[in-house]
Amino acid sequence: MQEHTSHTAESLLELTVDRVVEDPDTDTRILVLSRTDGKTELFMIWIGAAEGESIRRALDTSVTPRPMSHDLIKSFGEHFGVKTERVVLTDVKSSTYFATVYLESNGVTRTIDARPSDAIALALRCQAPMYVTQDVWDRRSGQNLDAWLSKLATKNIGTQEV
Amino acid sequence: MFDPYNNAYIVILRDEDQSEMLPIWVGKSEASSISLALESVAPPRPMTHDFMKGYLDAVNAKVISVVITDLNENTYYAKIHLTYEDSEYTVDSRPSDAIALALRSQAPIFANESVIRKQTSEELDQWLENLKPEDFGKLDS
Repeated sequence: MQEHTSHTAESLLELTVDRVVEDPDTDTRILVLSRTDGKTELFMIWIGAAEGESIRRALDTSVTPRPMSHDLIKSFGEHFGVKTERVVLTDVKSSTYFATVYLESNGVTRTIDARPSDAIALALRCQAPMYVTQDVWDRRSGQNLDAWLSKLATKNIGTQEV
Repeated sequence: MFDPYNNAYIVILRDEDQSEMLPIWVGKSEASSISLALESVAPPRPMTHDFMKGYLDAVNAKVISVVITDLNENTYYAKIHLTYEDSEYTVDSRPSDAIALALRSQAPIFANESVIRKQTSEELDQWLENLKPEDFGKLDS
């Protein structure tokens, strides 16, 4: 748990998951986020393969025979009556993004520090909104995502770069 | 421990007097999470089970114990026992999540006797005999 300054509604932009892309060079996934206000710019974050698959399953609303890790966290909330209220991408330091998950129970709000991948995997399962601060949005990578993706496609054919 | 034959990882649970062993096949990310907890490694950012523990801490819920209840061929079952606001809860989970969480919560790990009986230890002995030294990676603690 961490103390966190509350963000005014004006400084937050709501996000939605556009897609999860595989990065064939590494054992990672690229989480592509877009804004819900119709702006076309994208935002991408490199995340682990397991977290990427978890987000993908949440998007597909596919059901696994056994609860996966983020399903289990959702299940805790359902048992306790704790609501995942929202998640906010709050900071970026040397390409590492930070997120805060807001939980609400009995009128009390509590926050947890999380990686964006865990925060978003949980938010999607709980239908909780996802936000990014204007500051983090302005400092994002992913402005040239299309160029990057086409480079990735070309690279797939040739030898792998390290 | 890495299982090169199934391209998966095995968590081996032992009972307190070391007479029984219970192998559980888990995924790579779960194995890595359990291994980090065993080695008390604190990653720079919370991993999924650290986040799970953070979630429980934030709402003041405590893990009392976890129980491995059934190991079928493809579906493994465990139960996590917790307290939250003076009530007890039992939550269904995979053994890998239950173990990863128990290790971070200093909670005991139990297995139903039927689960241990079902796992013929010969099977594991045979498997262990076939292991080469190089199969023992960092994940073996």
